[in-house]
Amino acid sequence: MEFDFTPVVTYFPTLLKGVGVGSLVAIAVALMSVIGGLVVAVISIYTKKLVSWPLRFFIWLFMTTPLLLQLYFLYFGLGEWILIPAIVVGILGLGFHYMAYNADIFIATIKSVSDGQYEASRSLGFGHWNTILYIIVPQAFIRSIPQLGNNMILMVKDTSVLSAIGVAELVYASQYAISVSFRPFEFFIVIALMYYVINILMELGQAWLERQTAYRR
Amino acid sequence: MDFDLMVEVTPLLIRAAWVTIDISSRAIFFGFFVACGLVFLQTFRFAPIRWFARGYISVIRGTPYFVQLLLVFYGGPSLGLRLDPITCGVVVGAFNIGAYMSEAIRGSIESVDKGQSEAARSLGFGKVQTMVSIVLPQAASLMIRSVGVLAIVLIKNSSLVSIISVVELTYQAQRLIGSTYKPLEIFTLSALMYIIIIYAVMGIIELAYRRATRYTTQ
Repeated sequence: MEFDFTPVVTYFPTLLKGVGVGSLVAIAVALMSVIGGLVVAVISIYTKKLVSWPLRFFIWLFMTTPLLLQLYFLYFGLGEWILIPAIVVGILGLGFHYMAYNADIFIATIKSVSDGQYEASRSLGFGHWNTILYIIVPQAFIRSIPQLGNNMILMVKDTSVLSAIGVAELVYASQYAISVSFRPFEFFIVIALMYYVINILMELGQAWLERQTAYRR
Repeated sequence: MDFDLMVEVTPLLIRAAWVTIDISSRAIFFGFFVACGLVFLQTFRFAPIRWFARGYISVIRGTPYFVQLLLVFYGGPSLGLRLDPITCGVVVGAFNIGAYMSEAIRGSIESVDKGQSEAARSLGFGKVQTMVSIVLPQAASLMIRSVGVLAIVLIKNSSLVSIISVVELTYQAQRLIGSTYKPLEIFTLSALMYIIIIYAVMGIIELAYRRATRYTTQ
């Protein structure tokens, strides 16, 4: 049992490329899931049951089934009709998954904004949708930041699962190098370390963001 | 919807669902002991032992479960650790959920007012007795809920074991989608099975919660 990290050093640029693809996916998914989650939450609270119930059903469905199953369904299901690259399927799959989780948070925080805010805003002359857009949603968003941060940290860790459908992120990028060098342990240790560093940086960022917004809550 | 196909593949998926239940329940069972061990290690006076436990929890929570699984399954043999896929799924699942669970258990114990254990100690209860008969019953209600959530997360994460070729629900679903080209039917059935499993677990958690709080007035 001796360790040889030279192949890891040789293939380090490949791994870094994987980190790049993974970051790209994570940023796209973060934007999609936060904005989409907010839209879904607002629609499912403020519209008729005919619209809101199907949305709630999808939130529930995405939250009760595993991510990998959803990815396989999207990948093979969409693949039947149109040919789309794995990275798009990955972003959509992960995006919908976390959109549901974020929508669940937004629904709770929007409901936690006091009714008095709505009434006061209406009596000052704001319309129904203007009140929601300018008064309710900003307050709810600030309150959601801690939980959104947790979700985004989980999401970054889940980008590793996308290698199962062939998205060229960190784990996938290492596959070729591992099959050539026969050094899985060294590679996976380095990959785990990279994720750990990213995770710590994100936790620091989350703590900073929470401090910055604390006075508004 | 092709209902004949759905009837045909249901037995296969049920058998695969049993594997999911089997792996998850064993991982949760062993994970509970890992968690208790980690909580215990954090009460040591000797600081390096506490640091070890904190470091372990931090690393496990900071790296993806998927990478941990691959590391142990493919990287383990170079340390002389050869596990068959199912055992690997159980072991990694247990050590993973153990870290999360220890935080849940510690949090719920710390949520009990300190005055409770001080009062018990001054009434002559021993340290262990205070823990067992005063603090833990009060921590139980919170603990059951938070550990239950983790158990459900683990059941959903058990789908990742399919990557190391354990024929569990997601693996079987993927294989059937590949051979039948009917993603919607297969997805509906396998999602339904996950939902049934998860709701059954939620029911058990609710029963345990009611039993733990039967003497408390709210």
